[in-house]
Amino acid sequence: MADTAAASGAEHSNYVAQLGSSDPEEVYGALRTIKNSVIGSSTKKALYMRLDVVAAVSAVLTSAQTSVASRIQATAIVGSLARSRSAGAAAAGGLAARGVVAALVRQLSAGTDARLVEASERALHALLAHSETLAAGGGAEDALVAQVLGIIGGGAGGDSQAGARAVIRLELAVLIVARLCVSEARQYMVANTGVIDALVRQLGRSPAHVRLQAATLQALAALSYENAEICAALAEVGGGGGGGGVAAAAVRLARADDALVRLHACRVAANLSRMRALAAGDVQAVVVPALVRLVRAPAAAAAAGAGAAGADVGADVGVEAVQALGYVCHEDADVQAAARAAGAIDALVGRLAAAWAAAQGDFGDAARFAREARAAFLALGTVVSTNEESRRAAVDAGAFAHIVRALGHGDAGVRAAACLCARYIVRSVAICRTHAADAGLLRPLVGLLRDASSDVQATAAATLVNLLSDFSPLRADALRLGLLPTLAALLDAAAPAVRRNALWAVRNLLVNVDDATRAAVVEAVGMARLLALSEGADAAMREHAVGALRNVAADSAAGCDAVFAARGPAATLALLAALAARPDAPADRAVLVHALYLANNIVVRSDAHRAAVAAHVPLVQAVVAHVASRAPEVAVAALWCVSSVAAGGAGDAGGGAGLRLLRRLGVAQVLARLLADPALPLEVQDRVKGCMDYFGGAEPGPDAASA
Amino acid sequence: MTASSKQNISLDEWEGKMSEVPIAKSDLNQLIMNYLIIEGYKDAAEKFSEESGLKTKVDLGSIEERMQIRFAVQSGDIKGAIERVNDLNPDILDTDPRLYFHLQQQHLIELIRLGRAEEALEFAQEELAPHGEEHPELLRELEKTMALLAFDFGGSSGGSNGVAVGGLLDFAHRQKTANELNAALLAAHSQPREPKLPALLQLLAWTQEQLDEKATYPRINNIVSAVLSDPAAEHSTPGTGAGASASASTA
Repeated sequence: MADTAAASGAEHSNYVAQLGSSDPEEVYGALRTIKNSVIGSSTKKALYMRLDVVAAVSAVLTSAQTSVASRIQATAIVGSLARSRSAGAAAAGGLAARGVVAALVRQLSAGTDARLVEASERALHALLAHSETLAAGGGAEDALVAQVLGIIGGGAGGDSQAGARAVIRLELAVLIVARLCVSEARQYMVANTGVIDALVRQLGRSPAHVRLQAATLQALAALSYENAEICAALAEVGGGGGGGGVAAAAVRLARADDALVRLHACRVAANLSRMRALAAGDVQAVVVPALVRLVRAPAAAAAAGAGAAGADVGADVGVEAVQALGYVCHEDADVQAAARAAGAIDALVGRLAAAWAAAQGDFGDAARFAREARAAFLALGTVVSTNEESRRAAVDAGAFAHIVRALGHGDAGVRAAACLCARYIVRSVAICRTHAADAGLLRPLVGLLRDASSDVQATAAATLVNLLSDFSPLRADALRLGLLPTLAALLDAAAPAVRRNALWAVRNLLVNVDDATRAAVVEAVGMARLLALSEGADAAMREHAVGALRNVAADSAAGCDAVFAARGPAATLALLAALAARPDAPADRAVLVHALYLANNIVVRSDAHRAAVAAHVPLVQAVVAHVASRAPEVAVAALWCVSSVAAGGAGDAGGGAGLRLLRRLGVAQVLARLLADPALPLEVQDRVKGCMDYFGGAEPGPDAASA
Repeated sequence: MTASSKQNISLDEWEGKMSEVPIAKSDLNQLIMNYLIIEGYKDAAEKFSEESGLKTKVDLGSIEERMQIRFAVQSGDIKGAIERVNDLNPDILDTDPRLYFHLQQQHLIELIRLGRAEEALEFAQEELAPHGEEHPELLRELEKTMALLAFDFGGSSGGSNGVAVGGLLDFAHRQKTANELNAALLAAHSQPREPKLPALLQLLAWTQEQLDEKATYPRINNIVSAVLSDPAAEHSTPGTGAGASASASTA
């Protein structure tokens, strides 16, 4: 057996050697043999790559002496190597570096043998699946786009044999356009060639050319993805068969018979919708239900698919439909509601169940499961992200069981996606109080804070942010599971998202807690660290740190004492003044609001520190400056602080000093001016009136201490 | 539902209703052409196109290539079929691992059929096993195929050992592989993978089964002759059961 393998290996080696022969027949024969060996076989692709077939085939293609027949064989080998699952990228890079891309582009030029053009397009389409191709391709994009545009612009013939093959070449050219649009710069480069008009004309082709229709839609989807300008341009382009422009064509084709056409039409529509270039009604009434049907019926999609046979295409269509569904639902409550109404939640949970079932046993495909599960969890999380009813529907459909199971999966992407899904579901207070506790989410989530993947850590921490709110029965359990030291350790994590979410979880843990828990949290995290983070460079960390300080001081004097403990009264007040004196910029608004409420909380809760705050002129000045803020949340926070400082009055430890200071700073006049403003928001008006009560009477007498 | 509670539809009534349904001749011609093209009857398709005046967008020349490939599989020349497919469209087998596996599996079966067990074993080790490793969903089929090597079928398709596995050696399995490949070649040209006529016949059979529970009506009992049976004639036959009236209709 070993002898046979060695003999076979020598045989393959000979074929590669023959590619350098001066005998054209020998070269052709070797190419054909290699081609028929590598097509369909990953093992043979790997074997020939080890035998340096890349260099040998590149030499054949870049030689001017090579015959058309040999070029066709060599080009087919190139395409096949590029399609290797494990080594395609390396093959593509190697081929591109040896000038193969440029050679293939030359083979597209007018006058070239039609079979060679078709073979070159197939090979280029395979090569462009890898980013290495154009990176190493020596700037062949412009020439490639020009050639491809020539093919697209030339259209296809009628009913003759030449016409039928021409449709195939057209389809391949369009697919190449799709593959080229991998970045915004490339999208613009391609769009600027005028290819959009040609693609839109293609959409008007008869439904008999379903592959061409699907390819055209795929190209339009790639061109328009996350590109508002191109989406707007597409929405304005007329034609596309059936009238009404690209948008109308996409909506119409979302109901086509062919699954791939439906899928790519929905992707175009989803792109237009996200960039607000498509009527909301069409998205909700047509596109979303079409996507849900695709999600629900991968088997049916496989039967209708124009590409490769079997469950492979059906599964791929299904996964892409899931991804498109998540994309179109992102941050759009109305579309999410439409998805729920169309049965998306059950469909997605059903896919998860099917994926688990398919992955069981000796013959399960782990990679396929990971792809399916990631897509399904992410889409499910997006669909339920803003709506309470959707979250309940997900729980009723059994989502938690799949989530808990996935939290222990070997694939980090699956774990992270499951965390994200859980995070959005437990935004629901009701679910946090009931189902989440029973689902067994807590222990695996706390465990995932120590995961090897920072993505998993970050999403697990974000989920705990929601899960550990003050109304959650899981707080006590989480603390018993050792949550605090883990969160404290994560504050030093390398990944910013992990640090932010950990601090956010700490902040939420400090809401409405008893003194013992508060003290434990503060001890675990460190007050000095919180104060330092509130002055740090990271805006999100500042927000959560100041928010945490606010929460520490919110409930008791002991909390206020803890805030002052690390740096002492003078330094802490100086820090507070600096925070309150920040300009009211949108990026930092949350920090400012927390700082104002922190000052307020100290004044309200702490007899020991009230007077110090009320007498700190820079701090009070900073607070007063925000009373007239245009941002209602800032104004309200400042007004609460002013009320609290003014409420000291005669007889308190401050002896009215706070009120006197406020009067000297002209607060009464500011309040009067605010009340006279008819555009003042209602919530601010109410607070202003509340403040005015303190300024209506006579000036309180001199401070006994000062006297 | 008893016979007495079923709705009775006479032959005249039935034929009257059928004549009200507009069926264009061109639609019927399309159905026939669809069948001829997909099943690969190139000469018949060309002749039919000529006689009916029906112009098809399908390249009739490509039928020849497809039929040659199909014939190669039906003859057991799987390597030849694979080479022809790769010449026609190298993407098909590279992007359809299941189809490629089934072709390789068929090649293995042919080697076993010819009694070339050692060659079959080497082929399975070198070609099929790695493929199965990469596509775990195909491993079950691979296991079944490898069982052929474990049992001595002596070139025959049956035997007392593993009848289910021995079915792989049936020539019908070649046909199944040929059909799968034919469907893939059709799909690559944006053509339907299966002809519509057989599906319509299946629909006819299903519809009649459904209707049998609700009505007596002129049934088509022989799809070859497509003669409508007269329900009145069936009911007038004394003391016979369904079997007897069916055979009377058939005669």
